[in-house]
Amino acid sequence: MTSIDLQQARLFKWKKFATEGAGRLIIFLVGSIILWWLISAFLIERPDRYLPSPLSVVLSSADMLYKGSLISFYSDTLIRLVIGGAVGIAIGIPVGLALGLNRFVADMFYPLMNFFQSVSGIAIFPVIVIWFGNSDTTVLIVILYTSFFPIAFNVLSGVRSVPVRYIQAARTLGASRFQVVRDVLLPGAMPSIAVGTRLSIGFAWRAVIAGEMLAGRPGLGNMIFSGQEFDNTAQILLGMVMIGVTWIVLDHFLLRPLESDTIERWGLVQR
Amino acid sequence: MSGEAKLIIQDLCHHYPDEYTGESVHALEGINLQVYENEFVAIVGPSGCGKTTLLNIVAGLLPYREGRAMVDGNEIHGPGPDRGVVFQEHAILPWRSVARNIGHGLELQRVPKEETRRRVQEYIDLVGLSGFEDRYPHELSGGMKQRVAVARTLCADPVIMLMDEPFAAVDAQTRITLQDELNRIVMATAKTILFITHSVEEAAFLGDRCIVFSRRPGQIKTEIKIDIPREERVWKDMASNPKFTNARDEILRLVRQEVTSDDEH
Repeated sequence: MTSIDLQQARLFKWKKFATEGAGRLIIFLVGSIILWWLISAFLIERPDRYLPSPLSVVLSSADMLYKGSLISFYSDTLIRLVIGGAVGIAIGIPVGLALGLNRFVADMFYPLMNFFQSVSGIAIFPVIVIWFGNSDTTVLIVILYTSFFPIAFNVLSGVRSVPVRYIQAARTLGASRFQVVRDVLLPGAMPSIAVGTRLSIGFAWRAVIAGEMLAGRPGLGNMIFSGQEFDNTAQILLGMVMIGVTWIVLDHFLLRPLESDTIERWGLVQR
Repeated sequence: MSGEAKLIIQDLCHHYPDEYTGESVHALEGINLQVYENEFVAIVGPSGCGKTTLLNIVAGLLPYREGRAMVDGNEIHGPGPDRGVVFQEHAILPWRSVARNIGHGLELQRVPKEETRRRVQEYIDLVGLSGFEDRYPHELSGGMKQRVAVARTLCADPVIMLMDEPFAAVDAQTRITLQDELNRIVMATAKTILFITHSVEEAAFLGDRCIVFSRRPGQIKTEIKIDIPREERVWKDMASNPKFTNARDEILRLVRQEVTSDDEH
């Protein structure tokens, strides 16, 4: 009897750990590593060439850590991502807002934005290189450019999807145009702003990797491609893992809490 | 009716282009109406008769060209806090808690925090939402949401409260409760109210005066005074009050004339 109770208590805690917050994240990561290791050890013929085990990836990271290059690659990439992405989003939100608020502005600039949205960051890369050379500025501009569109278009459609009723209600309470934007349109557009932010950061990641490779700037992107050049598959995988883990951590500790305190708390989206 | 006219509407007409066909729709014709201080005026009429158009014009949400509309002597140009509106549904802000929704009007008028807090609490208590201050609208029932909407409008202290079928979207049981409560609130706050409804019962139960609208173009067909003191207006007594039942039957007859003649077209 007692042992069953104990077992149930243990099971209950395990379930809680597995479904909540950091516990779920840890289980996901550990599970993925085990799966990866099994595939590498039992299914792949020449794992060092095709799919190195987690251990060899860790060893290659130890080697690079010792030389100091890993930290510097990682921080270079992260700084580019944060600056380029933040500036892109910081410009995209007010531009989307302006387009969503004003028919005239929207009619003027929407076709232009549509045009450039279809010309991807990689497609404008050669022109930026001609203007700014193979520099960090070039990479930053491409990240900024790429991360601008998803957030701008999402804010635009978010502002337009706020029910007119809410605006009318605020106006009859005496809200000025600015107060309507602050108290109704911005919070009402929050679900779209959240989606746009995610997309923009995702796009910024792609831009930073491609940009580093094309401009030959040191960083994670370059590390991945030089891994291919020198047949160092472990180094490629290390770069991939670092990108993915960074994203999961960023999502878990920054974006998710922001969303659960706003749009989920307000009942605008369901979890 | 004693007291001064808070809302004056003179020879108001309204046309608007149909959204799809572009044809001009004649919504209102020659409306003359006065609502006096502390009076409850209910407008009842068949659907599509232009009664909501009238309310939107008074609220300032719809511009008008023919005739005049004045609140407290001021010509109506656009919405303003002197005319609070309670809409049918989906009008309180999902991202504001109950207390912050109710205090929104005062916040917009930059009333000091301490006074806002005090007045918000007063209206939360008045509509019976104590204990729900920090809840968000999605956690409330339909009836509670409408209580928040009423408290929000009253808390901003408008000259006149406009109500556009505010109880049409809640279930029948809740509606009766909300109607009883509105009477109690009207007694407690002595507000001037213009109330739009398609429910004859509701109009007769709540209105000091019921204005019956004709079918489109909306005109005032008749006006019926209902001389029942507000403290006697509770559903358990009203159902057997001949003043109420007579008024209700008379209004019903008038509204049915409109609906029936509409069918013959």
